[in-house]
Amino acid sequence: MTTTGTLPEKFSALEPWVEDWALATRPERYEKRLSKTIDELQEFYDAIAPVAEEAIEYLDGFDVNDLPEAETRLMHLLYSMIMVSYPVNIFKQPRIPDSGAAFFNTAVEPAI
Amino acid sequence: MSSIQKLATGRDKYTLDYPELGTGPVSYEDSYSEEFYQAEKEAIFKRTWLKVGRVEQLPRNGTFFTRELKGLGSIVVTRHTDGEIYALYNVCAHRGNKVVWQEHPAEESKGSARQFQCKYHGWRYGLDGKCSYVTKRDQFFDSLPDDKLAMPQVRCEVFAGFIFVNFSKDAPPLREFLGEKLVTEIEAWPFEKFTNHWSFRTYVKGNWKIGIDALLEWYHPAYVHGRFLDTDVSQAEKLVPPMDSYHYDLFTPHMLTSVPGPPPLKKKQGSVGPAARDMNWVYKLFRAGLFGPDDVRDDLGHLTPERNPGEVKYWSNDQYWAFPNLSIQLWGRGYYITYQYIPDSVGGHNYEVDIYFPEPKTVSERLAQELVVDSTIEFAMQDTNTVEATYSAISQQALSEYHLSDMELMIRQFHHVVRSAVAARPPRSASPIRQEPRQAGTEK
Repeated sequence: MTTTGTLPEKFSALEPWVEDWALATRPERYEKRLSKTIDELQEFYDAIAPVAEEAIEYLDGFDVNDLPEAETRLMHLLYSMIMVSYPVNIFKQPRIPDSGAAFFNTAVEPAI
Repeated sequence: MSSIQKLATGRDKYTLDYPELGTGPVSYEDSYSEEFYQAEKEAIFKRTWLKVGRVEQLPRNGTFFTRELKGLGSIVVTRHTDGEIYALYNVCAHRGNKVVWQEHPAEESKGSARQFQCKYHGWRYGLDGKCSYVTKRDQFFDSLPDDKLAMPQVRCEVFAGFIFVNFSKDAPPLREFLGEKLVTEIEAWPFEKFTNHWSFRTYVKGNWKIGIDALLEWYHPAYVHGRFLDTDVSQAEKLVPPMDSYHYDLFTPHMLTSVPGPPPLKKKQGSVGPAARDMNWVYKLFRAGLFGPDDVRDDLGHLTPERNPGEVKYWSNDQYWAFPNLSIQLWGRGYYITYQYIPDSVGGHNYEVDIYFPEPKTVSERLAQELVVDSTIEFAMQDTNTVEATYSAISQQALSEYHLSDMELMIRQFHHVVRSAVAARPPRSASPIRQEPRQAGTEK
């Protein structure tokens, strides 16, 4: 377990996932995806998917350019849900199939 | 009949509209021959306008970025104190040291500066390339010019916010090269509103044209990307629009293909329903997918009459190919993507994918952008590996000719245009008498 209270209270059930998946950048999220087994990715997906719709609605109550810290963490968890959604739902493995050595470096991404 | 099959137009084969292309087998020697690559570099890359960036990368006077275009030039692109954009060879007029770099001279860099100072002996240059100060000048001789010292300028022009350079002194101006169709149809897009930017870079072990070929046809999606669509290939095939539903316009040397796609989801009403391990559920949740966000912004002014010039049913996007190596895709759901392929050898190229959205107004809009970007890159990675597999196989030269279907007419055209450009300018060795004057800094 990680420290408590890092997410908006309503979403405290997701606290165990913060340490691994509340990551600010796409390269960090992609690296995390590749470091996990497909079972681990599925566990995270199964934990966040049931509250994702509520989380999106909740975050839409904030200014996207001025999210408080806890809400930013929740946003990062949703980015990570997107990052694992293809592996879990289609590839059944962390890597994209038939991608061999192909890997894109993220040279630029938005600050938020 | 599924709804997607209704896109069929029943028209005849496209390739037959371009009799100069023929319909026979083709050789891929242009994609693995070292000799052809050298000729192509001289005839095309040293003479054609090449995109090197966008104006948003130079937001203020005094900002700059460098590009390493192997075999062509190491350049600095700047916005000078006069607000103008310049491209300069990154070379000191003293003894040829590279002027602008940080930590590692081979890596690209960016920043802002009032002037550049060579790290070797401290000569200084304005952002227009003019040498402003020579250290210990009294130690030089009368032969040192007073006002001609400079990092030489490379021709540089801006179109629709894209910064292009040209290493030839006598090539026609950029807009003339692009031609009226490209200029009119691309300039109609409000690029300045699309500043939420993702940039992806990779190195592909394959000829740059093989890389481009992978995006020039709609034959491969059911097979390369089959698993995205349906694990059963026969089902996946049914999810790709029929081959006669696309629009092609081969306006040499450039090209356009317009692509159909699914209509956006209806406006959100109520819950998406219980969570499922199902990508379609994820698409509904975030209201986005490979074809863009489902909630299309109506305040961008991007859907002008110039879009969908071929009147494709269920139009999704216009994909312009600016010769030789740039694709600009304008997507109806409010974003654009550029793909660029920069060769560094016959068997390798730097591949750059840039995705531009408007600044999001809400968290849900931002999340939809994230899913579109992620989908685009997952697809692109599969395409990239196919390029390496193809290149490694054709370069064995076990076969001398290959077969292109009607679905691959843009590939036929693209290689035809490249070969014609090379044939029009045979390599220097073929005409040893005519020596072009060498420009400073063009050689490694």
